[in-house]
Amino acid sequence: MGSVALREIRKSYGAVEVLHGIDLDVADGEFVVLVGPSGCGKSTLLRSLAGLETISGGEISIDGASIVHLPPKSRDIAMVFQNYALYPHMNVAENMGFALKMAKVSKPEIDAKVRKAAEILSLTPLLERYPKQLSGGQRQRVAMGRAIVRDPKVFLFDEPLSNLDAALRVQMRAEIKELHQRLGTTIVYVTHDQIEAMTMADKIVVMKDGHVEQIGAPLELYDCPANRFVAGFIGSPAMNFIPARVQNGQALLADGTALAPAPAGLAEGLAFVAGVRPEHLMVTEQGAAATVTLVEPTGAEIQFVVDLAGTSVLVSTRDRVNLRHGDRVSLAVEPGRLHAFDTETGQRLG
Amino acid sequence: MNRRSDAWLAYFMIFPVVAAVLAFVLGPTWDVATLSLTQFVMGQERGFGTLANFRALWADPIFPTVVRNTVIWILGGTLFCVVTGLAVGTFLAIDSKMTTALRALILLPWVLPDVVTAMAWKWMLHGQVGVIGDAFTRTGLTEKPISFLGDPNLVMWMLVVVLVWRKMPLVALILCAAIRSVPAEQIEASRMDGANARQRFRHVILPNIAFSLTAVTVISMIWITAEFTLPWVMTGGGPANASQIMSTYIYQQSFTFFNWGVGSAMSVVNLGFLICVVGLYLYVNRRSWAAGGSK
Ligand SMILES: Nc1ncnc2c1ncn2[C@@H]1O[C@H](COP(=O)(O)OP(=O)(O)O)[C@@H](O)[C@H]1O
Ligand SMILES: [Mg+2]
Repeated sequence: MGSVALREIRKSYGAVEVLHGIDLDVADGEFVVLVGPSGCGKSTLLRSLAGLETISGGEISIDGASIVHLPPKSRDIAMVFQNYALYPHMNVAENMGFALKMAKVSKPEIDAKVRKAAEILSLTPLLERYPKQLSGGQRQRVAMGRAIVRDPKVFLFDEPLSNLDAALRVQMRAEIKELHQRLGTTIVYVTHDQIEAMTMADKIVVMKDGHVEQIGAPLELYDCPANRFVAGFIGSPAMNFIPARVQNGQALLADGTALAPAPAGLAEGLAFVAGVRPEHLMVTEQGAAATVTLVEPTGAEIQFVVDLAGTSVLVSTRDRVNLRHGDRVSLAVEPGRLHAFDTETGQRLG
Repeated sequence: MNRRSDAWLAYFMIFPVVAAVLAFVLGPTWDVATLSLTQFVMGQERGFGTLANFRALWADPIFPTVVRNTVIWILGGTLFCVVTGLAVGTFLAIDSKMTTALRALILLPWVLPDVVTAMAWKWMLHGQVGVIGDAFTRTGLTEKPISFLGDPNLVMWMLVVVLVWRKMPLVALILCAAIRSVPAEQIEASRMDGANARQRFRHVILPNIAFSLTAVTVISMIWITAEFTLPWVMTGGGPANASQIMSTYIYQQSFTFFNWGVGSAMSVVNLGFLICVVGLYLYVNRRSWAAGGSK
């Protein structure tokens, strides 16, 4: 079992508050990803959960029991650090067995557990090596092995893949996901990379400036972002934002062209920010007129930038459209794919 | 400029250093070595190629005392310097306003010239007028003032105390810097792994600073072996040779008694000892993970 509950977590460094009351529930066995731009407080939140930081206020519990006053070692949590934090003077087996040694587990039992974890992570041939003699991906696996042998209630990962090259990152992403399916242990995973979040998470927590912006399943966040920040952060390429207003149930752009039906429930005459993902814009016979300013074929799809009522808008399509700079196209939005956000607060309107 | 003249330029540039090393290091070493094999009688050279000086040294009744004192001086001094330096350095590595200030203050003993240190301590430890003995009697710790430097059983250890006072701060600072450069993530990982403060020190900090620790140990050992002013000014080897160490004895034999043969023989013994120390240092470093990567 390993369900985690965070209530009203606050953390200040001196006079500066960096976490402003975070609430989060993680179910047993869930893979939760904290995502947000650099400096938004993801690491601080994770380290508070680990017990490496003392929180200024709030309550943390695992399986219903408060752990706020417990030291890190008594929380039954294991953490994988960004720089791996392997002990350079111990070989792989010693690194992995260190926690058990500290817990005074018998030597044969440590050996057995280390061997088992090494097998899971295909580290068996490397057990005698020192961290210096390993590649980045192998070190990453040792760091994970060190967490696994402890058989904790919760695994914490703090940007574990950011030191790896792109290809290895994709591979390790799959390995971590597979490991989660195999062990079934609760994971809280921090990243600033929304693709990592989308591909790995059962549940994503989007953070910004020490606040939680939205919590939900990856596709929920993609389909129904709670505000402009989440809408722009989740999804690649990023969502387009176009100023618009409601007239006769249509979303009218600045120059008076109608883009699409306005979402239901918006008052007539209301000015709002229309959000449309590049992949939800289609080139059609009739629609809003736009001028092509840039074309970028990537192979699988074609991305092009158009000038739509004075706003630069990115369109991405799998159709083999033949476009060139200066061409006039008419665009339409896939039905139901137009998001509306408040001009001032950025909150979702519909 | 072609490669050939580059090389000549390089040789030309390092020539002064090479010449200085030859003139001031290898030259005197050679002189001492030959001198130790030359017999002197009343300051007159009387034949080369004899071990008479070494035999005289061996037969010298003070020689065993000198060896014993030198062992206390060098091994005891190094051990106490490094152990207290490690303790103080560990304390200074803690982040706080106080330790930041202390890190600067602790270097004060280094600013004083050797002679000033030696004289100050000599008077503070003096049997009749020393403030330390006086403080001991006032607080009722002792009946009458202890003559710290006059007691043959105490004097060597007093010298070691002053030596540690003088040499330990730099050791502490070097080790403090080494401890502070241990990656924070390793410490945190070990906290997560359940290591308590003592275990973190033993299993994470010590191995990480092993390189600095061996280096600083050997360097202290060399400093202490070469230290002459402190013991010479404080006791001059007395009372009755009770604090005579290799360096003071060499000086006394060579320049007070003009017994150059024995003095140089002793210097050669001293040199042999230093070579052993440096050899040990190189050997330990060769095995260190910090240098190689594996055992
Ligand atoms: N030890 C510290 N002292 C003061 N401020 C800190 C400290 N650690 C982090 N911060 C601040 O807290 C904020 C959140 O940091 P962090 O949790 O590391 O962000 P993230 O992991 O999301 O990039 C940042 O603005 C950072 O400057
Ligand atoms: Mg971070």
